[in-house]
Amino acid sequence: MINLGTYLGISFALFICGILVMVARKNIIAILLGIELILNASALNFAAYTKFSNNNIDGHIMSLFIIVTAAAEAAVGLGIVIRFFQLRESIHIDDAASLQN
Amino acid sequence: MFTNTLFLLSAALTIGGAFAVVYSENLMHACIFLLASFFGVAGLYACIGADFLAATQLVVYAGGVVILMLFAIMLTGGTANNFNRFGLEKIAAMGNKKTYFMAGITAVVSSLVLLKIIANVLRNQSSAALEANLPTVERIGTVLATDHILAFEISSVLLLGALIGAAVISRPRTEKND
Repeated sequence: MINLGTYLGISFALFICGILVMVARKNIIAILLGIELILNASALNFAAYTKFSNNNIDGHIMSLFIIVTAAAEAAVGLGIVIRFFQLRESIHIDDAASLQN
Repeated sequence: MFTNTLFLLSAALTIGGAFAVVYSENLMHACIFLLASFFGVAGLYACIGADFLAATQLVVYAGGVVILMLFAIMLTGGTANNFNRFGLEKIAAMGNKKTYFMAGITAVVSSLVLLKIIANVLRNQSSAALEANLPTVERIGTVLATDHILAFEISSVLLLGALIGAAVISRPRTEKND
C-alpha cells in the first residue's frame, strides 16, 4: 500500500485543493492558505521520491528548504495583508486593484 | 501493520483536511482544517522514514504558520468582515459562482496535465518490500553542512530578510511617514 503511486496521488489531491482555494476564494488570507497547501504537496513529492527512487538524502534537504521558504513567504505575505487592511479596511482581493486603472 | 494504519489515518486526515479547506464557509474553520491537513502530512513523512522532516513540519507549520494565519485573520476583523468601509457588501471568505466556475475549469485542466505526467508511475506500481527506515538526522546534518552549505547560508539570509521585511511592511502608520 505504501508506494510511490499513493504518495503521488495524495500530493496530487493536495495540489488540486490548493489550486481550487487559490482561484475560488476572494479573501487574501484564504489565498495564502491555498499557497501553503501547494507548497506542502511539492515537499511531500520530494520526500516520496527520496524514499522510493534512490535512498539519497537530497530530497529531504529540498523539502526542508521548501518549508523554510514557505515560512518566510507566510510571514511577508501576512505582513502585506495587514498593511493592506490598515490602508483599505478590507481584505477582499478585488479591492487591490489600484494598478488596474 | 502499525505503519499501514498510520498511513491510512494520515492520508485520510490530509485529504479530508484539504477538501474541508476548500469547502468550509468560515475562514477560521478553514485555518483549523489546514492545521489538520498539516498533521496528516507529518504522519505521511513519518511513514516513509523522514523523521526529521516530520518533526520540522510539526514545529514550523503546525506551531508557526497556522498560528500566524490565525493572528492575521483576527487582526483583519475576523470572520465577520463582510462589509468594507464604503458600505458595499463583500463576502469575505468565499467566492461567488463565477469564481467557483473558473476554479473548476482550472482544476480540471491541471488534473489532466498532472495525471498525464504521473500516469507512468501509477501504472507501474511496484510492490517490492521496503527496506528498513534508518534515522536521517545525522545524514541530513552532514549533508547540510558540507554539500549544501551555500543554500543553507542563503536560506538564513532569506529568513533575516523576511523578518525585517515583515516588520517594516506591517509597522503602524504614523503621521510622518504616511
